[in-house]
Amino acid sequence: MHFTATHLLKPATMIWPRANAMRQWLIGLLGWCALSAFAAPHQHEPPVVLAPGYEDLQFEPPSAGSYQLPSMGDAADGLILNTSGNAGRLHDYLGDKATVLSFIFTTCNDVNGCPLATYVMSGVQKAVLKDPDLVDQVRIVSFSFDPEKDTPSVLGRYGDQFRAEGFDWEFLTTASEDALRPTLDAYDQWVIRDYDEEGNYLGTMSHILRVYLIDSDRRIRNIYSTSYLHADTVVNDLRTLLMQ
Amino acid sequence: MSRMLIALLGILMVAVAPISLADETCMSPYMAKIVGQEDYVYIWTLGMEDVGDGEDKLVTVDVNPDSEHYGEVVHSLSVGGRNEAHHSGLTDDRRYLWASGLDTSKIFIFDIYTDPAQPRLHREIDDFVAKTGGIVGPHTNYALPGRMLITGLSNNRDHGGRTGMAEYTNDGDFITSVWMPTDDNLQGAVKSGNYADGYGYDARALPRRNVLVTSSFTGWNNYMMNLGKMMGDAEAMKRFGNTVVIWDLHARTPKKVLDVPGAPLELRCAWGSRSNYCFTTTALTSKIWLIYEDDAGEWNAKAVADIGDASKIPLPVDISISADDNHLWVNTWNDGLVRLFDISDPHAPEQVFEKRIGEQINMVSQSWDGERVYFTSSLLANWDKTSSSAEGEEGDVQYFKLYNWDGAELTPEFSLDFVEMGLGSPHQMRFGAHALYGNAPAKTGHDDMAAR
Repeated sequence: MHFTATHLLKPATMIWPRANAMRQWLIGLLGWCALSAFAAPHQHEPPVVLAPGYEDLQFEPPSAGSYQLPSMGDAADGLILNTSGNAGRLHDYLGDKATVLSFIFTTCNDVNGCPLATYVMSGVQKAVLKDPDLVDQVRIVSFSFDPEKDTPSVLGRYGDQFRAEGFDWEFLTTASEDALRPTLDAYDQWVIRDYDEEGNYLGTMSHILRVYLIDSDRRIRNIYSTSYLHADTVVNDLRTLLMQ
Repeated sequence: MSRMLIALLGILMVAVAPISLADETCMSPYMAKIVGQEDYVYIWTLGMEDVGDGEDKLVTVDVNPDSEHYGEVVHSLSVGGRNEAHHSGLTDDRRYLWASGLDTSKIFIFDIYTDPAQPRLHREIDDFVAKTGGIVGPHTNYALPGRMLITGLSNNRDHGGRTGMAEYTNDGDFITSVWMPTDDNLQGAVKSGNYADGYGYDARALPRRNVLVTSSFTGWNNYMMNLGKMMGDAEAMKRFGNTVVIWDLHARTPKKVLDVPGAPLELRCAWGSRSNYCFTTTALTSKIWLIYEDDAGEWNAKAVADIGDASKIPLPVDISISADDNHLWVNTWNDGLVRLFDISDPHAPEQVFEKRIGEQINMVSQSWDGERVYFTSSLLANWDKTSSSAEGEEGDVQYFKLYNWDGAELTPEFSLDFVEMGLGSPHQMRFGAHALYGNAPAKTGHDDMAAR
């Protein structure tokens, strides 16, 4: 199996990150994925075009508190394992703070997929750490799609790459596919896993990237996808939530 | 899945411009796209009295040339009664097709992923008017991340053109609604011209610019009226939309009301990542309008081309932009023509081709590569014609047709007569492919579905 990056647009539409630091960040992240994703089929494919979340925001966002974030329904519960291997429930990590929840897997090597989510979450973390009004009221949760490869210890090492000292960024996985499935269903996270002709899981999958903004009453207040996800808008939404 | 092509550049296109409604090059930027061969076309079809069961239905046509059922209707799912079936749209994960009725304001949500060859009815929304606070006539079903945006055409107070938009979760649960800005309540928007009519029709998002664009048609009183009667009613003819509204996409608040007189209908925005413009056409004045952001960051509207002879009322209906932003197909309902405009200079489109497709041509959908162009007839139940005056087209007034486009000529591939087949009046088309769901060999590209 092989995924091919196709240029559907004119070359002029290609946009590369300008910041050297961001390039280094991506190289580091993809390198981590390559080391851990021995089964990934295209780990050496270079990124072709980067999602808007890697760039400076191209517009002035509406000011925090000037708009509504109506509830999109309740954030579901589900079984989890934390990086210490302790069993619990997702709701243990929702409800006391405004939370940004993303679904990822550590072997993901599509730069505009899970790495984008983790990159943007790092940006959110950086901004929140600078804001004394937010720092104790915000949590990030990265939840793995892949209980087989993302064991608590693997996920713990992954998280250590990104979590700033003292910041509330949790990395969660599950004990099995059976434990994971109800959560994915509840969050409408539809996943296509890739198998070889003998039915062996290849360690890759396709899914819609969605990141959820969840308030302290465990209600979903916004959903972001690849073309929409940007640290500045997420932080703006966090501020808006906390002003209401 | 192994043949799924990931359009990494698409992410930018997406973030940039968008268009959705009639075809693969007009989908929401938040949605996976089929960049290879589509397997099916789903046609939201109005029921016609004395034609088959008379009910609105979702008709599935196999359009994969490698299939033994190529060019055949492989499935038809009736929804019970007639609702003035009109437009439809896919969710961002492309698992569900939302199809709405302008008369009853019902929305039918079809599951098209469990078996793409046999869609099933997943959910029916029958309280749209109550939930939205009085919006009538759900029209555009447009994917936003994890939710659907539904534009309205009318309201339940006077059934005129003042209306709003609603948002639902992908599961079909109501989230919120917002009304279009009017002179009485601009909601903070700037009225840049003579109109702030509050009418609605289509919507498209330009996420990179944080812009949502909406257009305006007419209310229930007009779109449910007999066409001849309405045309003879001077007061009714005054009740058409004259505005395009620029919204803050993130906040869902109106920012600027632009004058676009003459009922601006479909909106199609350029895909290029630095192309901050959209097109619309005006039904009553037969012009192409450019909605664009200037160098100062201001959004403007200007008429950039005539479509045929406006005095003959060609009545432009659906339009379709090519994936490279260089061409725009424009259908005109009254003369049965499709015209192709070169829009490589968006400020000066030029017509480069035209061909008669058939009586009351309405919707057009093209494949991502532009090589296949699909057409349907039918505008509204009370506006449609019952026969054709053109030689050789007698009776052929409700059709689904495929043409191949080689850059110079449209060559007919097949045509299905929806009346003869007992189906009804075919309206909007949406494409389906097994490969989107990991179980077949069509090439697909993606904006927001990441493959890894």
